[in-house]
Amino acid sequence: MPRQKLSEFRAKTIIYGALGLPYRGWSIDTSADLKLQLKAVHERTSHVVVKVDEGVKRRFKQGLVLLDVAPADVEEAVHKLQSRGYRWLIVEPMWEYAKTEERYFSLALERGGWLCRYSQSGGVDIESAASQVKSMLLRPGEDPKEVASATGFSQAQIVALEAVCADNAFAFLELNPYIVAANSVQLLDAAVEVDDTAAFFVDDWQFDDLRFHVGHQLTPQEKLIQELDATSPASLKLNVLNPEGSIFLLLSGGGASVVVADEIYNQGYGPQLANYGEYSGNPNSEETYLYTKAVLELLINSPAKQKVLFIGGAVANFTDIAKTFAGVLRAIDEVAGKLKTQQVKVFVRRGGPHQEEGLRAMETMLEKHELLGAVHSPDTPLTEAVDEALKEIAHG
Amino acid sequence: MDNLRDLEPHIICLGSHPGIIQSMLDYHYCLGQEKSPVEAIVGTNRKQERYFWGHHEIVIPVYRDLTAVPVHLRSKANVMLLVQSARRVLSGMQAASDALPNLALVNIFAEQVPEAHALLIGSLAREHKVLVAGPASVGLLLPGSLKLGAIGGTEYPQLVSAGIFAPGNTAVVSTSGGMVNELIHVVTRSGSGISFALALGGDRYPITDPAEAMLLAQADKQTERIVYFGELGGEDEYRIAELLKDGSVSKPVIAYIAGSVAELFPEPPQFGHAKAMASSQSETAAAKKAVLREAGAQVVDVFKDIGSLLGDNTSSVESQSHRPIQARRRRLIMSRLSGETNGEVQLLGKDLLATVNESSIASLYLSLLLGMTVDQPKIVAFTDYILRLLVDHGPYVSGAVNTAIAARAGKDLPSSLAAGLLTIGPRFGGAVNAAAAAWLSGVDNGTSAKSFVSSFTAQGGIIPGIGHKKYRIDVPDPRVTAIVDNFAGNTNNDRYLHFGRQVETVTTAKKGNLILNVDGAIAAVMLDLLESELGYTPEQLQELVDIEFFNALFIASRSVGLMAHYLDQRRHDEGLFRLSEEDVSYIP
Repeated sequence: MPRQKLSEFRAKTIIYGALGLPYRGWSIDTSADLKLQLKAVHERTSHVVVKVDEGVKRRFKQGLVLLDVAPADVEEAVHKLQSRGYRWLIVEPMWEYAKTEERYFSLALERGGWLCRYSQSGGVDIESAASQVKSMLLRPGEDPKEVASATGFSQAQIVALEAVCADNAFAFLELNPYIVAANSVQLLDAAVEVDDTAAFFVDDWQFDDLRFHVGHQLTPQEKLIQELDATSPASLKLNVLNPEGSIFLLLSGGGASVVVADEIYNQGYGPQLANYGEYSGNPNSEETYLYTKAVLELLINSPAKQKVLFIGGAVANFTDIAKTFAGVLRAIDEVAGKLKTQQVKVFVRRGGPHQEEGLRAMETMLEKHELLGAVHSPDTPLTEAVDEALKEIAHG
Repeated sequence: MDNLRDLEPHIICLGSHPGIIQSMLDYHYCLGQEKSPVEAIVGTNRKQERYFWGHHEIVIPVYRDLTAVPVHLRSKANVMLLVQSARRVLSGMQAASDALPNLALVNIFAEQVPEAHALLIGSLAREHKVLVAGPASVGLLLPGSLKLGAIGGTEYPQLVSAGIFAPGNTAVVSTSGGMVNELIHVVTRSGSGISFALALGGDRYPITDPAEAMLLAQADKQTERIVYFGELGGEDEYRIAELLKDGSVSKPVIAYIAGSVAELFPEPPQFGHAKAMASSQSETAAAKKAVLREAGAQVVDVFKDIGSLLGDNTSSVESQSHRPIQARRRRLIMSRLSGETNGEVQLLGKDLLATVNESSIASLYLSLLLGMTVDQPKIVAFTDYILRLLVDHGPYVSGAVNTAIAARAGKDLPSSLAAGLLTIGPRFGGAVNAAAAAWLSGVDNGTSAKSFVSSFTAQGGIIPGIGHKKYRIDVPDPRVTAIVDNFAGNTNNDRYLHFGRQVETVTTAKKGNLILNVDGAIAAVMLDLLESELGYTPEQLQELVDIEFFNALFIASRSVGLMAHYLDQRRHDEGLFRLSEEDVSYIP
């Protein structure tokens, strides 16, 4: 989905290029041969920094930045971060400077131009020094004189940064900290979010340069849906919240899916919510089959005693209910025996083109396998159907 | 909204999405309107698309791009449905703002339009004063007046159950397409009607943002209250709060902001919509709900409370009666030429016998081949002349030889005729069509006759319509002279014939027998007549070339000649034709 984090290595390569400055850094893929990748680092004599490059926030505080590493110890440092489950690392020269030299700079895409935020005191504690951060909207074609004098960049460099952001579909660029020396600038940490819908129009980064950090290791099911989503014109999302949860969701529609999840959360069932996700944009029945299969695998694997599956959505405008349900039905049918043994109940509420056909087929199938909780048309309000499913949990 | 409600919609579809387009036609049919509001489809590879208008099928013309749409349609168009892919949305909007001077409303359907493109489209829309729903939007619904996009459903039963044929007092504004439809149902079930429903789209930079939508609702006479569906991510709701506080929006606002569940996630999650991700505290659902509540909106935490706040208005319900649509079936074949109505055969829109009684054979042939009634005397006379002229060219030519050989092998009439017809192609009989293609491209591209000739000779090709075995520039072909004498002098200044003559001047300077031959003259004069007498455009003429209309004229005439050769051979009954050793040069 649109805003994705760009690897720091790729971001810096692009930004240093725009500033007209050389960049020295190495991107390390710990899943590939390390010897070859670290050869150039080993040949150095001065110390380096080894950092995780996966778009993780607050890296320093989480111990994911290893400072002042001697070239001989780089391999050990790499293994240390790798053992914490990270694949992508970045190695850069170690710079000596005083903490007071750390500055902050960011550009964010806004209506009307780039919102520039900057401060003379940057660094890892920027959030507590927020009051010192100034901001100014840079409109296209305006001279960034004031920003240039306050940030240590030249006017031409500010203009070049705006241009490089536009050309590379950056939605957000943050340099924190960076230091300004006599004739040069060093970007110690850089974070960039790109608008990946513009990938087609951009040359300097590719899909491989994007970093998807979700705060936990992706389950095989989440990985599968991510890949499915990347290759389909429809939208398919899956997030696992609690693998041991009891409420499983199979939702349609970007808005309605959030409303359903909200309802569960607002009723105090948040901890039991196993997953959030949605499919929309009229996926074909093969896609809904694979999607349902993934959700059902999660459901069957959960040790929770009383489990429900809620299949639902709003009244679709153009997503064909009979067609999308055909895939859902096939997937349920395949594991119906297991679901019955686990006493799973399925609740359905959906409307849209060919809803009668889809809902009727669903009801018949669920009844046959003794999985039927309830099947509702849009005559039943969306959240009422959710509440009905929740009662099953409360009573269980 | 009032101005859009009063608009007589003339809709252009950029790209095609048959489900959505059909649902728009159905909605307007149900309203009792007389004709389809969808005027044209642009940018698909078809020539036309078929849809139902009620129970009858209609065709909607398809154009290559917006510049190919006839000027009168372009100046009439005031509404556009943009259903092309995300990558093409920006260029589509740019083309539309150039080509459609009276554009007032657009729905952009595609998801995943780049943010920077959306911002550019936003400036473009403001500059041209166009209201845009989208990107990633199911459109705008003005009950009783207009349905633009998938909004309200794409199937007839959905339109009926939504209760959207008559207007009411409640506006629905939503960042979600599914939820706009859900809310329409919530509102109409409470007994209120919809004044308008607008899907803004779930992108970060909707062209019409939530605050602008609120101002539209405030200004709309029909609207008395607003139901708003928003979600976490972005800070649009802060602007709504400002409008509520300073009184710019004074109509009651009922709001639901989705996304409290985000608090469950360890890192800010990206929900289904592009915008739906809160990267700072101010973008969370809780923060936005608080600021709207403080500004005076009725913010509900539980979705079903929207229904309670709307109250029960079933006593004030407007009649949702409409012109119904019964079951209908797509036809397998389409014909403009002939058909049966109630068992009576019709030809070209009239009773078969009436058409036949009124038409000469030439006018009937030409009408059928062009797919419309043609009775302009000059072009009919020319058709009559060429049908006679092309009927036979002796037993020597390839087609006649093949027919004769087949006849002597004992084959039947259809087989022998087919043997001759199957010979027609680039070297035999196809010259009229090829010459028409050549004159058309030469005149259209504004090429000089000289460079036209050199482009042909550069490829080592012969120029269709040029050259004769016997006749020369000083001994002209009497058939060409007859054609020119009797049928030139047309209102387009004979521009195709003129071009053919210029080419002839170039080629005969090299060799005396490279004259404009009878095929070339027929092609040129027929093009001139179609343009002058029947008003064909160069595009339409090109279509005639592409579908081999000029070959059809030749075949219509020559078929008689070939059948005559078959009958002639059968009367002679000479037995199997075979070449002898002397006829074949064997080179081992």
